[in-house]
Amino acid sequence: MNTAIDQVIQRNDTWLGRNTATVQRSLATGYRKLDEQLYGNGWPLGNTVELLSDGNGLGAMGLFLPAMEQLSQQGRWQAFIAPPYTPYAPLLEARGIDVQQVLLVHPQSRQDLLWSIEQALRSSTCSAVFAWLGAAEFRYSELRKLQLAAAGSDVFSVLFRARQAAHNHAPAALRLEMKEYRRVHILKQRGGNQYLDVNLGVEDDIPGQPQLWELPAYPAAESRQASAFSA
Amino acid sequence: MSLWLCLRFQQLPLQALTRRDRGEQPASAVLEKQRVLQACDAALALGVKPGMGTATVRALGDDICLLEREPAREQQCLQQLCCWAYSITPTLYSYREDCLLLEVGGCLSLFKGLDRLLAQICSDLSSRGYNYCSGLAETAKAAWLLSHREHSHTETGDPRLPLAEQLAPLPLNLLDDFPQQVASLAKAGLRQFGDILPLSHRALARRCGREFVHFLQQTLGMAHDHRPEFQPPPTFSDDYWFGYEVKANQELLPAVQLLLQSLCQFLRNTQLQSQKIEWQLHSINRKIISLEVYCSLPHANWKEWYQLTSLKVEQLQLDMAIEGVGLYCQQLSAGNSRTRDLFSSAEQREPLHSLLDRLQTRLGLQSVEKIACRDEHLPEFASYSSSDGGGGGTASGDTASGGATTNTTGLHGQRPFWLMPEPQALSASSHRLYWNGRLTLVEGPERIEDNWWLDAVSRDYYVARDTAGYQYWVFRDRLRNHWFIQGVFA
Repeated sequence: MNTAIDQVIQRNDTWLGRNTATVQRSLATGYRKLDEQLYGNGWPLGNTVELLSDGNGLGAMGLFLPAMEQLSQQGRWQAFIAPPYTPYAPLLEARGIDVQQVLLVHPQSRQDLLWSIEQALRSSTCSAVFAWLGAAEFRYSELRKLQLAAAGSDVFSVLFRARQAAHNHAPAALRLEMKEYRRVHILKQRGGNQYLDVNLGVEDDIPGQPQLWELPAYPAAESRQASAFSA
Repeated sequence: MSLWLCLRFQQLPLQALTRRDRGEQPASAVLEKQRVLQACDAALALGVKPGMGTATVRALGDDICLLEREPAREQQCLQQLCCWAYSITPTLYSYREDCLLLEVGGCLSLFKGLDRLLAQICSDLSSRGYNYCSGLAETAKAAWLLSHREHSHTETGDPRLPLAEQLAPLPLNLLDDFPQQVASLAKAGLRQFGDILPLSHRALARRCGREFVHFLQQTLGMAHDHRPEFQPPPTFSDDYWFGYEVKANQELLPAVQLLLQSLCQFLRNTQLQSQKIEWQLHSINRKIISLEVYCSLPHANWKEWYQLTSLKVEQLQLDMAIEGVGLYCQQLSAGNSRTRDLFSSAEQREPLHSLLDRLQTRLGLQSVEKIACRDEHLPEFASYSSSDGGGGGTASGDTASGGATTNTTGLHGQRPFWLMPEPQALSASSHRLYWNGRLTLVEGPERIEDNWWLDAVSRDYYVARDTAGYQYWVFRDRLRNHWFIQGVFA
C-alpha cells in the first residue's frame, strides 16, 4: 500500500469507520464514574482535551489533580500556560505532586500563547500541558495545529476555554463542560458517549486529603457570617 | 611516521583585510611602507605589481583600493585558523607569519585517509575565504619548503618519494632567513636544493655556518625540530562576513549555523561547555548589534543554540543591512555530560531544560516561572514562584523531595488551588461581602498568625461561596479589621 496512506492510517486521530485495534493511550482520571464513561477508560493522551467553564477554568483544576499526581512520577514538566493565578505549592505538594515540575509560562500576546502551547506540546519534555485560552476566539485550524502538536507524543494536554466556545466546532478528542464543582458534562467524545452528565462522587476522594474543590454546604452559613463580622 | 602538512596562506596580508568582502571585490592592493606588498587578481590584471609605489598604482587606476597592511589582523586570522585546525590535529603551530604546520600522520585513520582529509581542509578553507598552498612531508620544515612548489595546491606531490628527491628542484632562495649563505652558494653555482643536499654537512657547515646546516638537518629529519604546540585560547570568538548586504533576518541563519558549528567543534575539541553566547551583528555603517543567548544548563550542542538564536533573530528588527556576524563565547566551563534515563517509559526526546530555554528566549526570562514551597505560615510566603533561569531541568532532579511522604507540615484546613499574587481587598457593607457578587462564608474560621516580631499579622481564614457557586479563600485581617480575598478553589 502507499506509504503515505499507511502513515495516515497509523495516526491515532484518523477515523477508520470501524472499531479497530488502534489503542488510544489513556491515563486514569482518578474518578471511577468518569473513567467508565470515557473511551479508553481515562484521559486521552497525545490528543487535546477541552474544558469549558466559566471564570477561566477556575472550577476545574480539581478534576486533574489525580492525573497530575500520576504524571508526577515521570519527572517531566507540567506546564501551566497563561494560568489565571499561581498554583498554591503546598496544596500540590500535599497531593503528592512534585512542585519542581510545575512550569508557569506567561505569554504576552495571543501569538506567543499559541506558540508556547505548541512548543510545550511538541517538545516531549512535558507530561502535562494546561493552557488557558481565555474567552478569545480561536480558529479551528489553530486548535487543530495544537492537536497535531500533541499527537506526536504522549502528553496530556488540556485547553481551558470559556463556555461560549461550546457552540463552535473544535477538533479536540474530548470536550467537557463544567458548570459546577463535581459535575462534568461530556460535550463531545470521539469513540465514546456524548451529551451526558457525570457526577463525581465523594467515594473517590482520598481520606485525610483535602479535596479542596468542594465543601459540604453549611446550613448555618448565615449565622457563621454574622459571627465572623462580630468577631 | 609523522607526516606534516604545511598550509601557507601566501595572500594572508591581503585576505586578512579583504576576506570579508567576498562577493564582488574591488581591485585592491596591500601597502607596506608605501610600496605594494600584495595585490589581488583584479589589481594584478590592471598592471599593479608588488613593489610599486603608491603614485604608480594611482596612475594605473583610480578605483584600486589601497589598504595598509595590518599585522595584528593577520595574527588574529592565523589564530582563528589555528583554532579551526585544532579540530584536525592537536599537534600544530603557526610558522613564520603566514603558515600553519599540522602533524596529520596521527589522524589519517580518523579522517579515513589523506585524500579525504585534504578535501575537507580545502572545503573548510574555501568557505572561510582563504587561498592557500600546501606541502606534505615527513618534517615540518620540508613541508613548508614543499608548499612553495608550483601548483602545490592541486597536486600535493607523492609523499612516498624520498624527501631529498622531492626537495631537489626547489630553489635555494626560498631560505630567506639565510640571505648571505644563499647568495654565496649562488656564486658557487649552487641554486637548488638538489645541488647542496648531496654535499657533506661538515663541509657545508664550514662554508655556511652551523645554523644553516642545522636548518637543513631539521628539514631532512636528521635533527630535532621541537616547537611549542598551539594551545587553544580560553575563550571562543569567530566571525563570518557575507560579502553582500543582508536585509532579511532569515538570511542571517546560515551564517549563524556555520558559526555555531564552529563553536561546538571548538567546545568538543577542548571538552568545554557553555551557558551563554554572544552575537555581534556588524551593520554596514559600522554599528554593532549585540544579542545574548542564554541557556539554563551548559552544553555543546549547536542545534539547541541554533534554535535559541533563531528565536532571537526572528524577533530582531533590522533597520539596516548587516554585513558580518561575530560569535563570542566567554564563559566556558568544564564538560559535564549527562546521561539519559534508559528505562524511562515516557517518550522524552530532548533534555528538560531545552523547552525552558526556548520559552525563556522568546518570551523573556520573567515570563517563565517555577513554583516552590517554603516552611512559612502565611500562605503568600509558603508558596513562591521564581523566574531565575538557574537550576533548569530540575524537574527530575530529586523527585523524592516533592513526594507526599516528605510533607511534614500537612494541610489541616482547606487550601485553594489558586493563590492570588496579592490579597485583594473585598468590599464589605452591612455584614455582607462582595467580590463579583455577594459572598457567603461557608467554612471557617481558621486562624493564621505570624510575624509577631516584625509586622504582626493575624488573620481568620474562611471559605466563601459566591452566588454562582464558586468558592474562594477569604480572610479577615483581625488587626486592621478588613476583608481580603486570597485564593480560588478549583
